[in-house]
Amino acid sequence: MTREICLYAQVHQPYRLRRFRVFDIGTGAGHFDAQQNRDILRRVAEKCYIPTNRLLADLIRKSDGRFNLALSLSGVVLEQLADYAPEALESFQALADTGGVEFLGETYYHSLAGLADLGEFKTQVLRHRQLIEHRFGCRPEVFRNTELIYWDELAPTILELGYRGALVEGADHVLGWRSPNFVYSAASAPALRLLARNYQLSDDVGFRFSQRSWGGWPVTAEKYADWIVSSPGDSAHLFLDYETFGEHQWAETGIFAFLERLPSACFDRGLKFVQPKTLVRRQPVAPLSFARPTSWADAERDVSAWLGNRLQDAAHQRLYAVREAVLRSGQPQLMEEWRRLSTSDHVYYMCTKYFADGDVHQYFSPYDTPYDAFVAFMNVLQDLEWCAKAEAPEVRMAG
Amino acid sequence: MRVLMFGWEFPPYQAGGLATATVGLVTGLLRTGVEVTLVVPFPADESILPGFRLVSADGPAESLRVHRIPSPLGPYDGAERYTEVFERIQSRRPIGSRAVYGAHLFEEVERFAALAGGIAAREPHDLIDTHDWISFAAGLEAQRVSKKPLVAHIHATEYDRSGEGGNPEIHRREREGLSAATRVISNSHVLKRQVVERFGVPADKVDVVHWGIGDDRTPPPSPAPSPFPPDVPVVLFLGRVTRQKGPDYFLEVAGRVSQFNTAAHFLVAGSGDLLPRLMMRAADLGIAHRVHFTGGLHGADVDRAFRMATVCVMPSVSEPFGLVALESLRAGTPCILPKTAGVAEVITNAFKVDFWDVDDIANKVVALLRYPVLRDHLSDLGLQELATERFSLEEPARRTRDAYQRAIEWGGIRG
Repeated sequence: MTREICLYAQVHQPYRLRRFRVFDIGTGAGHFDAQQNRDILRRVAEKCYIPTNRLLADLIRKSDGRFNLALSLSGVVLEQLADYAPEALESFQALADTGGVEFLGETYYHSLAGLADLGEFKTQVLRHRQLIEHRFGCRPEVFRNTELIYWDELAPTILELGYRGALVEGADHVLGWRSPNFVYSAASAPALRLLARNYQLSDDVGFRFSQRSWGGWPVTAEKYADWIVSSPGDSAHLFLDYETFGEHQWAETGIFAFLERLPSACFDRGLKFVQPKTLVRRQPVAPLSFARPTSWADAERDVSAWLGNRLQDAAHQRLYAVREAVLRSGQPQLMEEWRRLSTSDHVYYMCTKYFADGDVHQYFSPYDTPYDAFVAFMNVLQDLEWCAKAEAPEVRMAG
Repeated sequence: MRVLMFGWEFPPYQAGGLATATVGLVTGLLRTGVEVTLVVPFPADESILPGFRLVSADGPAESLRVHRIPSPLGPYDGAERYTEVFERIQSRRPIGSRAVYGAHLFEEVERFAALAGGIAAREPHDLIDTHDWISFAAGLEAQRVSKKPLVAHIHATEYDRSGEGGNPEIHRREREGLSAATRVISNSHVLKRQVVERFGVPADKVDVVHWGIGDDRTPPPSPAPSPFPPDVPVVLFLGRVTRQKGPDYFLEVAGRVSQFNTAAHFLVAGSGDLLPRLMMRAADLGIAHRVHFTGGLHGADVDRAFRMATVCVMPSVSEPFGLVALESLRAGTPCILPKTAGVAEVITNAFKVDFWDVDDIANKVVALLRYPVLRDHLSDLGLQELATERFSLEEPARRTRDAYQRAIEWGGIRG
């Protein structure tokens, strides 16, 4: 019988590309669609970030900190908040000031660098840590990789970077008969604690909350707290997209009323809120081994949403193949652009899984088809590569 | 269920997709147990009929009867393919005597209709099906005689073929047929909208049945000989070279693509009134040596063109369906099609563009030529998609049969 809840939400928005055509290569045209990125960020800030931050801050204060949670914000969303919606950034800082929020570490660019280049991965993780310290005055102790992508080989690097624990997907193929509601350790680095997502309970809110065809609908805070209590284990790890509140699930679905009532419904049933930094100090019940990269996405819980077809593989490989050339150019702004291209969303838009069914992948995509996403990305990458070559020191000397 | 069907184009008398669609529909209907008596104004191609018998093991081909109405048009002595364009017909210039849409088109249509009554009196049937305005008159005459429900199959309207400057007499006949019909079958939602908005047909009278294509056509003799070396990319336009199909946009795309890919060649397969202008434009763009005009293609040559192409571009201004896209995908050739085409409602694994946005189309062509991985992916997924039930010949036939059933029920209600 579960007695504790660990609530965590991910905040991220990518830098979306312009409709960059082959004619734009070499013209010095910008790569990112500032207008679209600003519009989307402002919309999400208004519908989700600002009202949710305000509500959570109230709940934390009213409960004297008994209600608490963890958040992680990618570096690219923090940059965009500062540029496009400073009032939303302030509201995150106000939420942090309540003392009830733990910030987690991740890659600055919400990238797949862990799968491609460990040197780049470390650089991005350290840059993210600096940014969180700068914005929120605290140092993350627990790590969550992009889309909870984790496998055994990554564990020593996470530990080496100074984290005590990591968030992982409570995937059936890893847990088997075991409950996700315990603290586990990493089989490949026993000092690292693993907190496995309870995908059943998490998706009840994240995906199914407004599905009228689902037997559990409507989800009230009381009913949900009952489900948590009756779930086997010690602590239920509920990991969500922050945009669940007000964006994926609109205000009209009752998601804010649900969130507002959740703490008291939990307290009434003797449930306590606990943060990742507390859990990772506990003794683990057993080691967990992840033989292959596992994520929180799709039914497969693997990385096929990002690297599941030949287009995605080709784009991903090409990106990391030109990294050295961009670095050698000695131009920081070119490297910055390269890193923005490393954001996982760009390859996610190229996903053709279930494409014919018009599913969730397309809902989040700014492109008409995955093929348009590929063409725009490759054109930008080509442009970046040629810019880097033109700027390379030896070329300049020769000129 | 027995259907008395009035068609117009039927191989080898073929100017466009209507013949292909008719063959596909009749094949599918026979397989789903509907008896079809097909009436066409030209001698039908004998080679098509045994082909049907071959593909149907349980022998429903016996229920296909093709009536040949004696025609002043000469007998079949060589294929007249993708013949003359409609705009030229309107100008009543004398053209080849075996043209599908001849010089005295309205007289032909009336003569066809005059014979329809007699056939309707002789042939037992439960309903009448007609294809586009050209056979509406025949359908109306048959209905006057037999009092059976009339279905108007609509594949394209005069607005699609000629824009706003269409022939008023054809508009009149389209309106007459559509309003007299018990039910209307449209091959896409975009065409249904047009029928409802432009012709005032009640929306609940129109069923949408997208075309299928099937995969059982005899494959072309392989390996298909290509005049191009294997490493030369070929960009294909296939269709009538008329305003409706947007060949002029294709040429602008060719001009832009040739700046990025100096090896690419461009194939314009089809004939029509815009050909001279296109040739001049190719010369102006300095790519005359890389743009090849094949004239109208027929039968195996169509498959050959798709197979030698690296990518097929369809910049149609108006495309109620767009069977070319399905033919291209079936040949494993990725296709760029207009967002507004009927086929875009059912195909997902293709680039969808605005026909006028030649920069965007060129951008996509360049990408397809540049990245084999993109080409292969679209080719494989396109083939997978075509293999699904909705693109078979049976599924559209079943939906057509359901629409026929509704027509019979509606006909009964109306007495």
